[in-house]
Amino acid sequence: MESGYPAGGATNGAGAAAADGNGGAQAAAGAAAPATIREQDRLMPIANVIRIMRRVLPVHAKISDDAKETIQECVSEYISFITGEANERCQREQRKTITAEDVLWAMSRLGFDDYVEPLSVYLHRYREFEGESRGVVGAPRGDHHHGHVGMMTSPMHKSSRAQPGSMVTHHDMQMHAAMYGGGAVPPLPQQQHPHPHHHHGFLMAPAHHGGYAPYEMYGGDQHGMAAYYGAGMYAPGGGGGGNNGADGSGSSGSGGTGTPQTVVNFEHQHPFGYK
Amino acid sequence: MRQARPYSAMFAGGVSARTGPHSLPLARIKKIMKRSAGENSGDGGGARMISGEAPVVFSKACELFIAELTRRAWAATLEGKRRTVHKEDVADAVQNTDLFDFLVDVVMAGDAAGRDDDNR
Repeated sequence: MESGYPAGGATNGAGAAAADGNGGAQAAAGAAAPATIREQDRLMPIANVIRIMRRVLPVHAKISDDAKETIQECVSEYISFITGEANERCQREQRKTITAEDVLWAMSRLGFDDYVEPLSVYLHRYREFEGESRGVVGAPRGDHHHGHVGMMTSPMHKSSRAQPGSMVTHHDMQMHAAMYGGGAVPPLPQQQHPHPHHHHGFLMAPAHHGGYAPYEMYGGDQHGMAAYYGAGMYAPGGGGGGNNGADGSGSSGSGGTGTPQTVVNFEHQHPFGYK
Repeated sequence: MRQARPYSAMFAGGVSARTGPHSLPLARIKKIMKRSAGENSGDGGGARMISGEAPVVFSKACELFIAELTRRAWAATLEGKRRTVHKEDVADAVQNTDLFDFLVDVVMAGDAAGRDDDNR
């Protein structure tokens, strides 16, 4: 499902991690001037980490301290891992600044392609929001003018509009169902059956760009984004197949561009779909 | 397996109208990025710049990452018929997931001797 590089990405990744000399975040702290890198600079705040963990665990679940700390370490390692790859790309292309696109590209490269889609949505919303609140378009792409059209059409989005951006943080199947228009979709979408006509923003990208889909999709593909907002943020393949009609603006914009072939190529399991 | 959680869960995370819903501190993320970018760059180590949006992406990515890792660790916990997630469960999750190969050193640190010999 991690189309392309499941094993390859992983090995590659292990190599990269080893190459940058900090196999563990701990090692990094130890090796690189311990005095200058304080604990609180090297790890995410534990409270935030715990909060995110709790969000996905059942209420009765407990988390031991060592598990919390381990996850905390893993997060730092994850950032380093991805950043390392993004950095290499920048070096290759002789660029000085690591951009959000580089980060997304690196994730895709290293097997986290399932993340790219929700992250693209998130970034897009962020840009939109920044553009609005500053009166300046944060993103050079000027892609701030279309996004919310689809959102308004769904009653579910009323609440999320009050708190922009928060929608994407949510991973629950129920929520997906709700975003599809409520009730029409079973709470647990069948991931095995991607609907060929499911207008999924992410799947649209290759058709539009013919380029590197996961990375380019948010780079100004308005129709794709509109489809997002309308048809669900990162819908599991197939889950929303029957609901394209529910959101006119989104689906119609990109309608017809997604060939079944494309869908097959980029079909991936919903990142949060497993048990 | 996972029960539907209240919608309110998605709004948790300190959403403020101004800064957006980043539930992880951007400055911290940037520091970690800077360090790993600096280490890697052959030229003026650490000279690499990081766009303001990159940590924003990471703030969300880390959420996804933590959620995924936690969920997989919890699966290991359940397998052991327990209710408390332990470090070993996280280690199991890492070892059973190709995607997380890069974490092997992290989760093995400290218990390589004990656990490896006994249980593997």
